[in-house]
Amino acid sequence: MVGTEGTLGAAAGQEPALEAAAETAAEGADTILGFIPADGVLGRIFSMDTALKVGRVALIIVAGLVLVGLAVSILRRMTRRRMDARTSALLVKLAQYLGFALIAINAFEAAEVDLSALLGAAGIAGIALGFAAQTSVSNFISGFFLMSDKTFAQGDVLSVNGLTGVVTAVDALSVKLRTFDNQLVRIPNETLIKADVANVTRYPARRLDMKLTLTYGTDMDAARTALVGAVLGDVYALRKPEPLFLVRGLGDNGIDVLLGAWLAADDWVEGTNSLYSSVVAALSEAGLGLAYPTITVLQDDGAPQKTARQPSGARR
Amino acid sequence: MIPEKPRSGERPSWGSWPLPKDEGAREHRFGDTTLVVAADKAGEGDVLAAAVLYGRGGRTPGKKSRVLALPPPGDPAWKRVHTPSAGDYSLMPGYPSLPVCLSLRQPFILAPGARVEGWICSHAEARLVLGGAEAVSLPLARPYKTLYGSPESGVVCRHDETDFLAGDELLLASLKSDPRLIAHPVRLHNASSAPVSVAELCVYGEQLSVLADAGGLRSERLSFVFSESGVKMRLDGAVPQGSAVLAKPRVSGEERFIERSFEVWKAITKW
Repeated sequence: MVGTEGTLGAAAGQEPALEAAAETAAEGADTILGFIPADGVLGRIFSMDTALKVGRVALIIVAGLVLVGLAVSILRRMTRRRMDARTSALLVKLAQYLGFALIAINAFEAAEVDLSALLGAAGIAGIALGFAAQTSVSNFISGFFLMSDKTFAQGDVLSVNGLTGVVTAVDALSVKLRTFDNQLVRIPNETLIKADVANVTRYPARRLDMKLTLTYGTDMDAARTALVGAVLGDVYALRKPEPLFLVRGLGDNGIDVLLGAWLAADDWVEGTNSLYSSVVAALSEAGLGLAYPTITVLQDDGAPQKTARQPSGARR
Repeated sequence: MIPEKPRSGERPSWGSWPLPKDEGAREHRFGDTTLVVAADKAGEGDVLAAAVLYGRGGRTPGKKSRVLALPPPGDPAWKRVHTPSAGDYSLMPGYPSLPVCLSLRQPFILAPGARVEGWICSHAEARLVLGGAEAVSLPLARPYKTLYGSPESGVVCRHDETDFLAGDELLLASLKSDPRLIAHPVRLHNASSAPVSVAELCVYGEQLSVLADAGGLRSERLSFVFSESGVKMRLDGAVPQGSAVLAKPRVSGEERFIERSFEVWKAITKW
């Protein structure tokens, strides 16, 4: 702009035609694209210098995003097979955020933005953001503790705070469960750190504990034979570990028995249905019965009379 | 679909047959297990239904013991496959998809450093092959499961029971009597410094062939090495000459190596 004005000054005092041409040229030089004043705010923004800066910033952002994408892709492939899904996802996320931060710093430098002033402002903003993002940060850090715990992985069945479902995603801030009635439940990592988490499918086999009450007077040897035989004859029950038969005590209504049968974790639903049916059938076949709730009423004459809400000692 | 009058009759256990059209359910006997196959027209092709009857082969006791008690049409025991062409079907022996945990009927103690050779047997599955591809695999012994190892880190396996027949040569007669059995020549070695009780041997069928020779069905020789860190199974020697290969391993040696290495890596890093 200064150069142009100097040239115009030197042209003063020439012939009228030349003067007219010079005036027209001066008018053109004082505007950008013919209508934006060169010395105005917009004129300063749309200078060649600014265009170069914008180009540099755009180049850094595009190249940076491509590089970060490439690095994340390689990291994802490298960690997918070597680590569990949760660790892999967290590492990838961490690399992604670091990459974005580097791109941002470089872009600011290319734009010749004074980062010290920005960082000073960021310090103040950081305090405000810290309060605002307290929960998110807590969840993020909890994610690392969960990762080191290795309590579960994608595909496991979790039971948390009364909710049971399959882990579909393990993210930086939360874990997503798909419940068996087909709902998506998002559980913040912080909650998982605090709560009692049961990993239902962690081990290859689970024991199904069937709590039964047999009528008083039951031949316990016959009951044991029938119940253990029912488990061993069921195609879903594992032959080893062997089934557990335990007399838990003499209850209000009958003899309390625990029958434990081992099932493969994958067969849990079918196995549970099948085993309860097998147990009922085996008891029926052996002529044994499950006890109903009973109550004993004493009459005034002192002679005990046993009555029941359901037939006492009923046999199925 | 399910024919009312089953056809009985002895026929070889393994081989190829035309589809049983308009003749009821065809019966294939494997020891005391019966595999029944029936076919029905379905559009341009046929639907083949197969079911396995265990124990007495589904036969009802009494006078009519020749009559098979077939499962009802809706019973999940029936496995149905659609085949577009009216070609033959084959029944070929194979291994279960799960590893097989062979429980020895008479466990024994192996002294430190001792080496023993012998034979064990497992029950084959019947692979129903249509158009050169396996359509369905049916267990010829009731498919009970068991856990090999501890409840924390064990492997869910198919349960099977066997005698350990010590010696170099197999007792062929016992095998010929039951076409369901596959014999595995084994070599046991206790490399640990303490006696080992040999009660269960786990066989990974996906790594093994099914070979047929004059003595019946057999696999490659297996080696079990007991050490302080556990027991390891591996193939011990090549396929014997002169045997017909009825089924090849489902995974190659390289795949096995990669798979096992990955399992070891997972075990080291995961928990």
